[in-house]
Amino acid sequence: MKTWRRLKEHPELWERYFVREKVIRATRSFFEKEKFHEIETPILIAHPPAESYLDVFETKLLDRKRRVTPAYLSTSPEVPLKKLMAAGLGNCYAITKSFRNMETDSHLHNPEFTILEWYRTGADYFDIMNDCEKLLIAIAGGTSLTYQGQKINLTVPWERITVADAFKKYAGVNFDDFFSIKNAKKIIRQKGYTVEENTTWEQLYNQIFLNEVEPHLGHGKPTIVYEFPGELAALAKKKESDPRVAERFEFYIEGLELGDAYSELTDPVEQEARFKKELAELKRLGKTTYDYDHDFIDALKVGLPKCSGIAVGIDRLVMLLADTTDIADTLFFPAKEEFPLPEKP
Amino acid sequence: MSTINTGDFTKSTFIEFKGEPHQIVEFQHVNPGKGSAFVRTRLKSLKTGKVQEFTFKAGESVAEVSIATREMQYLYKENDNYVFMDNTSYEQFNIPAAMLGNYVNYLKPNDVYQILVNGEEAVGLRFPKKVRLKVTEATEGAKGNTVSGATKTVIVETGAVVTVPLFIKEGETIAIDPETGTYLERA
Repeated sequence: MKTWRRLKEHPELWERYFVREKVIRATRSFFEKEKFHEIETPILIAHPPAESYLDVFETKLLDRKRRVTPAYLSTSPEVPLKKLMAAGLGNCYAITKSFRNMETDSHLHNPEFTILEWYRTGADYFDIMNDCEKLLIAIAGGTSLTYQGQKINLTVPWERITVADAFKKYAGVNFDDFFSIKNAKKIIRQKGYTVEENTTWEQLYNQIFLNEVEPHLGHGKPTIVYEFPGELAALAKKKESDPRVAERFEFYIEGLELGDAYSELTDPVEQEARFKKELAELKRLGKTTYDYDHDFIDALKVGLPKCSGIAVGIDRLVMLLADTTDIADTLFFPAKEEFPLPEKP
Repeated sequence: MSTINTGDFTKSTFIEFKGEPHQIVEFQHVNPGKGSAFVRTRLKSLKTGKVQEFTFKAGESVAEVSIATREMQYLYKENDNYVFMDNTSYEQFNIPAAMLGNYVNYLKPNDVYQILVNGEEAVGLRFPKKVRLKVTEATEGAKGNTVSGATKTVIVETGAVVTVPLFIKEGETIAIDPETGTYLERA
């Protein structure tokens, strides 16, 4: 049954959907107090940021003579915000629709979703951690909330643990030993996971992270996991004292991943090299490819000030506050109703 | 033994996991932070009924276990076991309560069910998405209460307690989702 029909039959359900407007209102009011500019970023773009793990939506722009220019739906407002920061904008945020293809069949994803990103100049990832703590309290309207029967204490500071410490603590893996793919394969095999010829380092890493680390995160209190392997972040700055990891964190509440943050990479040469590497990977994977955004590299050359930022799924925040485990429960028109997939035999 | 790709998982796929047969009771495609795709599953052991989570790499091949389905009549409960009989061979099978989970609340003696059989062992039950049960005890809905969405609890013929809308009366038959125990409709 379509959601609008269900609402007609069960008017008590409206309340759950109205959580969204409360979350967005609280977010705007938080950033207004912090004196951030709200920016409207484009959804129709010519150059998605090259990130090989994403599948983009491709469309066409036609001129009056029906000549075709490839166009894409934005996967995140990050690049336009950074260009404006290079132009001198300062602290800013966007709440916008973003699109990621192939993200169906999941309780946590909708191919069209609402993303919140904010950027703080002069800041690093630890400053953004503090922002997250304050924002969540502002949205929850206090320091506690209940999710799936669990009382969550939002009092600051939240639990903070590095990926390396989490691997040690929850999986008994010394992260220093895990960086070489040969060692990682050995460790993973000993643990009884399946390893194939073409299994990548990132897959080995996620086998442990998803099975042995993630289930422990965010119980009773949010957890900030930080310093992820540099491999996994195309636009993050590497940590100076240990370039194997990036200055990046994610935060979790009751197993729900809510945000992904990093100190922003400001070096145009490294950024361009990473884009090229990501595009080569996209090609290898047979995914939609496109030219990277040269204008963005130019903006970095002009100079992106030291800054740090984060992407937070508004839909995930709504799930948390509406106490549901299915993103579709927060959307009046979830993609799975708009595009019902054929039943599997 | 045949293998199955994670892309072909369904809610009634049976696989070998850590040397034991398991049923996939739930599965979700996940794209962790940055990286390739994975499939998160909840696996129910066909030996103990215990459910655990495991996340596979998308595209991984897993050994499939072939499980037969046989029609059997539910006879009675004996200690912690539920006793079923195959009406063609008159063989009786015990299924421990742990294997039936929430379903035990909706079993009706003499009704015929689809029983999952692994070799010589009955390991579970393939319940329909809806079960129809008669309401045996219900209070009158409070008069004048027109708040939509208001509910009350009733008892159905198997003894299970179900939350239903106020208009449901004693003697009526209702449809219930046996997995979650929620009321679906007036049958």
